Amino acid sequence: MKPRLTLRWIVFAVAVFVMNFPVISTLVTAFKSPGEVSRNPSLWIETPTFENFATVLTTSDRLNIYNYLWNSTVAAGIGAVLPIVVAFPLAWAIVRRGVGRAILFPLVVNLRALPLIIFAIPIYMMFSVAGLLDTRLGLGLILAVVNLPLALMLLVNAVAEIPHEIEEAAHMDGARLPRLLFRIVLPLCRPALITTFIFGFITAWNEFLFGLMLTTSKAVPMTVGASFFFATSGGGVQWGVAAAVMVVAALPPLALGLVMYRRITGSLVAGAVKG
Amino acid sequence: MASRQHRENALLASPLVLFLLLILGFPTVLSLIYGFSETSFETLMQPQFSGLQNFRDVLGDPTFWQAAGFSLRFGLITAVLQCALGLALAVYLAPLVRAHPWTVAILIIPMIVAPAMMGLMYRLVLHEFAGPLPHYLYQWFGWSPSFLGPAHVFKTVVLAETLQWTPFAFLLFLTAYQSIPSELREAASVDGARPLRLFWKIEWPLMLPTVFVALFIRFIDGFRVFDNIYTLVGSGPGGSTTSMSIYIYETFLRRGEIGKAMAAAILLFLTAFLLLALGQWLTRRRRP
Amino acid sequence: MKIRHNLRAGVAALALVAAGSVQAEVTVLGWPGGPEEAALRAVTEIYNAKADVAEENKVELLFTSRDGFFDKLQVDLAAGSTAFDLNLIATYSIGRYAPYMEPVTLSDQAGTVFGDTVLKTMQFDGKQYGVPTDLSLHFLYYRTDLIDALLADDAAKAKYSEIAQQHLGKAMEPKAPADWTWEDFVANALYFSQSVNPDSPTRYGTVIQAKNLLFNMMVFHSWPRSYGGNWMDDAGNITVDSEAFRTALSQAKLLFDLGATPPDSTSYEYAEANAAYASGQVAAMVQWNAAAGELTAAQAATGTTAPPAGPEGKFTHIHGLGLGLNKAAENKDGAIAFLQWLSTEEAALAYAKAGGAPGLAADTAAKLAADRPDLVQVGDYASNFGFVMNGGTSEKALSVYEAQAKEFTGFWAGTQDLDTALKNATAAMSELLK
Repeated sequence: MKPRLTLRWIVFAVAVFVMNFPVISTLVTAFKSPGEVSRNPSLWIETPTFENFATVLTTSDRLNIYNYLWNSTVAAGIGAVLPIVVAFPLAWAIVRRGVGRAILFPLVVNLRALPLIIFAIPIYMMFSVAGLLDTRLGLGLILAVVNLPLALMLLVNAVAEIPHEIEEAAHMDGARLPRLLFRIVLPLCRPALITTFIFGFITAWNEFLFGLMLTTSKAVPMTVGASFFFATSGGGVQWGVAAAVMVVAALPPLALGLVMYRRITGSLVAGAVKG
Repeated sequence: MASRQHRENALLASPLVLFLLLILGFPTVLSLIYGFSETSFETLMQPQFSGLQNFRDVLGDPTFWQAAGFSLRFGLITAVLQCALGLALAVYLAPLVRAHPWTVAILIIPMIVAPAMMGLMYRLVLHEFAGPLPHYLYQWFGWSPSFLGPAHVFKTVVLAETLQWTPFAFLLFLTAYQSIPSELREAASVDGARPLRLFWKIEWPLMLPTVFVALFIRFIDGFRVFDNIYTLVGSGPGGSTTSMSIYIYETFLRRGEIGKAMAAAILLFLTAFLLLALGQWLTRRRRP
Repeated sequence: MKIRHNLRAGVAALALVAAGSVQAEVTVLGWPGGPEEAALRAVTEIYNAKADVAEENKVELLFTSRDGFFDKLQVDLAAGSTAFDLNLIATYSIGRYAPYMEPVTLSDQAGTVFGDTVLKTMQFDGKQYGVPTDLSLHFLYYRTDLIDALLADDAAKAKYSEIAQQHLGKAMEPKAPADWTWEDFVANALYFSQSVNPDSPTRYGTVIQAKNLLFNMMVFHSWPRSYGGNWMDDAGNITVDSEAFRTALSQAKLLFDLGATPPDSTSYEYAEANAAYASGQVAAMVQWNAAAGELTAAQAATGTTAPPAGPEGKFTHIHGLGLGLNKAAENKDGAIAFLQWLSTEEAALAYAKAGGAPGLAADTAAKLAADRPDLVQVGDYASNFGFVMNGGTSEKALSVYEAQAKEFTGFWAGTQDLDTALKNATAAMSELLK
C-alpha cells in the first residue's frame, strides 16, 4: 500500500503545480521589485520585497483597498445568500410536486448561458430611479441574479437526493408544510446549501462587468478597484503591484474556500449524484 | 386538498418568481422591444419597430456564426477535457484524499481565482520576455512556442480554461466516487475483480449521472466563456477568438447595435432552452 | 400590464430602502493611474484652494477602471447618469458621446495657450466639447548603442545591405533613425532579427503591438498616412483600399512573416510591447510618447525621434484627451467654471509641471523649456507631423478603428488575405461613415 500512495503524492504534486502555475508565478512576481520584474522572469526571487504589498495596502485619498474589500464582501454576501433563500422553496416544489419543471426550471437554468450584461441599460435605468446605483445592495441584487441558475440546479439535485421515506414519515406524523420544509428538508440539505453559498460567493466576488457599470465611487467592488492599481492600457504598468493586488483580491474567497473545503467535499455528494 | 396544494405550490414558487420579475421583468420586456426594433444608444427612448430585421442581420452576419462555432468547439473540447482529467484525478487520488483531506483544498485553488484575473496572470506568465514559462523553455531548450500567436492561441485558451476548471469536475467526481457504498466494492473484490474491471463494472455506471451533470455545467460555462479570453487575447486577430458572449458584448457596447445584440441573445436563449427541454424529455423517456 | 404595475410598486419600495446620494460638488470622472491622474490631482488642489471658489463648487475627482472605461461611460451617459458633472473624452470618441454632452465656451486665453490644432482635437461638428488636457502621439524609439555599432562596422553594413537586397529587392545602406523612411525601418527590423540574421544582438528587430484593439490601429496609422493613405476623400468615398494602405500593411506583414516582430505580438498591447523592448531583445519600435519614461528607464541607450517618413513625408497620428460637460450634470455652472479655469495658462502650466502632457502652443511651451523639454518635442511633432484621418472625429470613429483592428490583425495573423481584409474594412467603414 505504501509505495502506491507515494506515486499518488507525485501525481498530486504535478497536478497542483501545473494547475496553479499562473497563481504561483503571480505570487512570486508580487515579491519582486519593479526593476527585478523586467530583468528576471524566472521563478527565483533575487531580493524579495514587500514594497508592492505596501503600495497596495497603504490607503490614500486616491485608493482605499479596504473599502473595495468591504464593498465586495457585502455585495457578494447578498449575491450568495439571496439566491438560496428564493430558490430553496421552489427547488423542493420542483422535485416533489413537479412545479415549474417544464418552463420555469429550464428558463432559470438557461440564464447561465446568457451574457447578462445585455441587460445593463434597463437595469441601470431601474436602479437610477430606485436609488440603487453605486450601492452595495444594488450590486448584490444583480449578483444574486447571476448566481440564481447554479443555486437552483444544486438545490434541486440536493432535494432529489433526500430519501423519500424520511419526508413520508414526517408527513405521517402530521407535519405541516412549513415544518416539513424548514425542520426536516432544510437541515438535510445543509451541505448543499453551504456548497451553493461558497460557489455563489466566489462567483459574485469575481464578477467584473456589472461592478464596473453599476458603481462609480462608493460601492466599487474589489475586482474593479484592483484594476485601478495597474493601468494595463496606459501609463506605466507595474507588474509587481498588479500581482500584489491580484493576490490580495484573491485572499478572501480563498480563505473562505479553504476554511469550508470539508463542507464542499462533503456536500456535493448530495448535489451531483442524481442527474 | 387539491386547492390547498395549489395555493402551497404558488407560495413555494413565489419568492423566486417575484425576485426574477422584480429585477429582470422590466429589462426583459425592454430587451424584447429592442430586439424587434432599430435601437442605438441615442434612440433608447424611441426604438423604431423593425420586425425581424435584427434577426435577419444576426443570422446573415458571418461573425455570429464564427462566434457560435468557436463557442461550440470551445465548450465541447473544454468540457470533455476537464471531465476526463477531473475523473482520472478523482479516482486515482481518492485514497490520498481519504488519508489527507486537506489535499483537496490545494487542488481547488485555481477555480477560486477570478477568471478575468486568471487571464491577466497568463498574459504575464506566457510573455516571451517577462514570463517564467518561455524563460525556462528558452533556458532549457533554446526555443519556446508562441503561445498566443495565431497558430497556437486556440490551444492556449483551451488549456487555460481546462486547467482552471478541472478542479470543478474533480470535486464533483470525487464526491460521487466517495459516495459509492463500500459494500459494492468489497463484494466485487471478493469476487476477485481487478481495479480496472471494478471501475468499469461497478464505479463507472454509478458515476455516470454525475458525468452528465459535470459535462452539462462545464459545457454551458465553456460556451459562455468571456472574462479570461477577453483579458488574455481580446477577440483575437481577425476576430478568431470571438466567443458568443464576446460577440454579443461587442455588438452591444462597442458597436452600439443594441437591437442586433438583443436579437442574438434571444436566439441564443431560445436555442439553449430548446436543447435543455429536449434533453429533459429524452431522459424522462429513458426512465419510464 | 399587471407585471409593469407590480414592478413599479416594487421599485418604489426599493427606493425607500436605498439611501439617496447627496452631491454638492463638481464631480469629474477620469482615468486612474499614470501621469494624467497625478496632473489632474495637482491642478484640482490649486483650484480648490482658491478663495473665490465657493464651497459647493469645489472639485471632487472620481476614477474608474481604464479597462472598459469607454463602455462604462457609454452606459452612464446614455442612461443619463448624474453621478458626474465632467468626464474624460478623447478626440476619437467625442462624436460618439456628443449627443449626451454639452458644448462649452473656454476662457479667452485658450486660443493662445493651446493653439488651434490642439483645440480642434476637442471639437465635433465645429463646436468645442471640452478643454484639452493631454496630447498623445507617437515616437520612434531605438537603441542608440546598437545603431551606432551598426553604422561604425563595415562588415555589418554589408550584411545589412545584403539582407535588404534579399527581402526588399534593393541594396540599402543603414542610416540614422531621424532620416529613416519606412523601408529603412523594415530593413533595420530585418537586420536585427535572429530569424533573418542569426548574428543579430537582439532576438527581434522591432515589435508591432497587433492585438485586435482599436488603440493599436492608431499606432499603425502613421505608416499608411506617410504613403498618402486616408480613411476617405473629401467627397466622402472610403479610400482605405488604396496603394498606401496596401503598401504599409504588406510591409508590416513581411515583418510578421519573417519573424522580425515576436510571433506572439498579434496578442500584444501597450504593456507587452513595452516589456519586450525593456527586455533588451528589440532594436526599435514605434510607440506612444507616454512610454518614453518607462522605456528609457529600462534601456538607457534609447533615442527618440519622429516616426519614419514615406513619400508624403513624416506623420504622426495625434489625439487629445480632455474633459467635457455631461448634459445631465447637476452642477453645470460650477463645472463650466472649472473647465474655463482649466483652459487658462495658469492651469495649463501647472498641469504640465505636475507631469501631464498638454499640447501647448510654441510660446506657452517655451515657458516650460527648463522643466519639461519633452513637451517642446511633443509640441514640435504635433504641429509639424500631426494628423487626424478624415472622419477621425466622426460619430462612429471608434467603431472604424475597431473594424480596422479586426481586419488588419486578421491579415497579419494570416487568417485572411489582404484583399479580403481591405474589402471587409471598406464595407464596414462605408456603413459607419455614411
